[in-house]
Amino acid sequence: MRNLMHISSFLSGMPRALCGALVGGVIGAATMFVPAPHAHATPLPPNVENGRYLTRAADCEVCHTAEGGTPYAGGRAFSLPGIGVMYAPNITPDKTAGIGAWTDEQFVSAVRKGVSPHGKRLYPAMPYPAYARMSDKDVRDIRAYLATLPPSSQKTPANTIHFPFSIRSLMVFWNMLNGPAASYADDPAQSAEWNRGRYLVEGPGHCGDCHTPRTRTFGLDSSRALGGNIINGWRAYNLTSDRQSGLGAWSDAELAQYLSTGHADGHGTATGDMADVVGHSLRYLSAQDIHAMVVYLRSIPPLHTAEDMLEGTTPPAGDAALPQNTRGARLYASTCAGCHMADGTGRQSSFATITGARSLGADNGRNLVQVLVQGSGMQTATGVQIMPHFVGGGLSDRDLADIASFVMTHFTTATPHNMEQAVQDAKRAN
Amino acid sequence: MLSLNINGQPHQVDVDPDTPLLWVLRDVLGMNATKFGCGIAQCGACTVHMNGRAVRACNLPVGLIGEQPISTLEGVDPTDPVVKAVQAAWIALDVVQCGYCQPGQIMAAIALLRTAPHPTDEQIDSALSANLCRCGTYMRIRAAVHHAAGALA
Repeated sequence: MRNLMHISSFLSGMPRALCGALVGGVIGAATMFVPAPHAHATPLPPNVENGRYLTRAADCEVCHTAEGGTPYAGGRAFSLPGIGVMYAPNITPDKTAGIGAWTDEQFVSAVRKGVSPHGKRLYPAMPYPAYARMSDKDVRDIRAYLATLPPSSQKTPANTIHFPFSIRSLMVFWNMLNGPAASYADDPAQSAEWNRGRYLVEGPGHCGDCHTPRTRTFGLDSSRALGGNIINGWRAYNLTSDRQSGLGAWSDAELAQYLSTGHADGHGTATGDMADVVGHSLRYLSAQDIHAMVVYLRSIPPLHTAEDMLEGTTPPAGDAALPQNTRGARLYASTCAGCHMADGTGRQSSFATITGARSLGADNGRNLVQVLVQGSGMQTATGVQIMPHFVGGGLSDRDLADIASFVMTHFTTATPHNMEQAVQDAKRAN
Repeated sequence: MLSLNINGQPHQVDVDPDTPLLWVLRDVLGMNATKFGCGIAQCGACTVHMNGRAVRACNLPVGLIGEQPISTLEGVDPTDPVVKAVQAAWIALDVVQCGYCQPGQIMAAIALLRTAPHPTDEQIDSALSANLCRCGTYMRIRAAVHHAAGALA
């Protein structure tokens, strides 16, 4: 098989059709002589459907699409404080602007090793350390699906990365410290579901890229894996099995519902980047795969993090009277109750049911303030669910701070502090 | 084609599931009693009932409704005791000024009185404070809800 790989890299300079025909012929010939027990090592023909599924599981579209732009044509900007701005490239099959001229090996190398054709090192905004967990076969299937997309000639803007981060070869050292893991063999001591769940969570799902804190070299801190992190101003919550600060108190059904729809009653609705993850990726996964992810997440050892704590209290259900004795309460009644009702239940859709949501109080209401300042939208099976932002609509910073304080004290036992500052910080960062 | 149950009648509408119910009511079905105010569920002018609960038609995608029954101001039953009481109270206290928000106010008041037949001031304020009135008839609306509740005793 090693010889075969040499042959295919030698062939990579030839026109694709010819190359495919030759490799196909060689593989056909090889298969005849390979003893049956090793037959599985022969590259299988690409499975476009598996590729489409994994392209969604890996959430390629969200990063490789500019806001309102052509899907997969790139151009979405990622601003990294102190480092610069980088743009996700066009991954449609256009021969010059996209990746149409790449060989499958070059694609696998970019996705799994972070090395693009001609040896250029990718920045880890591309989560190749996680994608390295995927098998070559699955990555080839993704390539086969991407090759079916309409080519887009949209050029990707040049990155503006500051020195010394602009020296791509330095990524070699970063990779030595934090670099791609190998794809893992299934753990025979665990169930097939657990293994599938680990593959989805740690591989294509790259959950740790947001939910795992980073080390001083921006690598993922494996000692606190999935222990919660702040990313783009939002809190990506602790996913470990800790009962108070992680997912330990969620039922399997609630967790599965949240992952597949973006909402679970008693836990609120996904917002921010997580709304994108559900809307573009998780909601397309099969019920078995969602269950497998739940099984795996359940097995993450508990890690307690104070920032993710939420001790909720829930007001009585129904059109309960809202206390109107503070500015925040009166503002909530006129501004928020139209959708979220006095008791925090969604007026017309459960997506607006906020009771029990960690966002309402955890980390001094960080995500609550984020959603007031930025808004949030999520693609669901029944249309886009929108929470508008409330900046510039006649509400002052103090108004937003008072609303946030009221929500925190009315729906949770959190103690808000410096909320006006929190609102100003969130507005500045946005 | 989407199937909707509005005021007890089945309606087939050929619209995108993302279309807000208010658009379907006014533009597709010509039911104009429900008003457009703000379009972002902030003012309550478009209040209708879904399963008897007051909802905002302007940001309710029809794809989300399914088989849940919708009722609008056109469809309220004038022989229903709550509807009769609200209508009589609104006339007795001459609540309406310009009237634009009133379809929403009345639908919100009916929904409240069905769940709380004798609401306190606080319950009325909670249930209706997200229904705005530019003319400022709030005091008359609150008094009329109490008036209607009295008739329901």
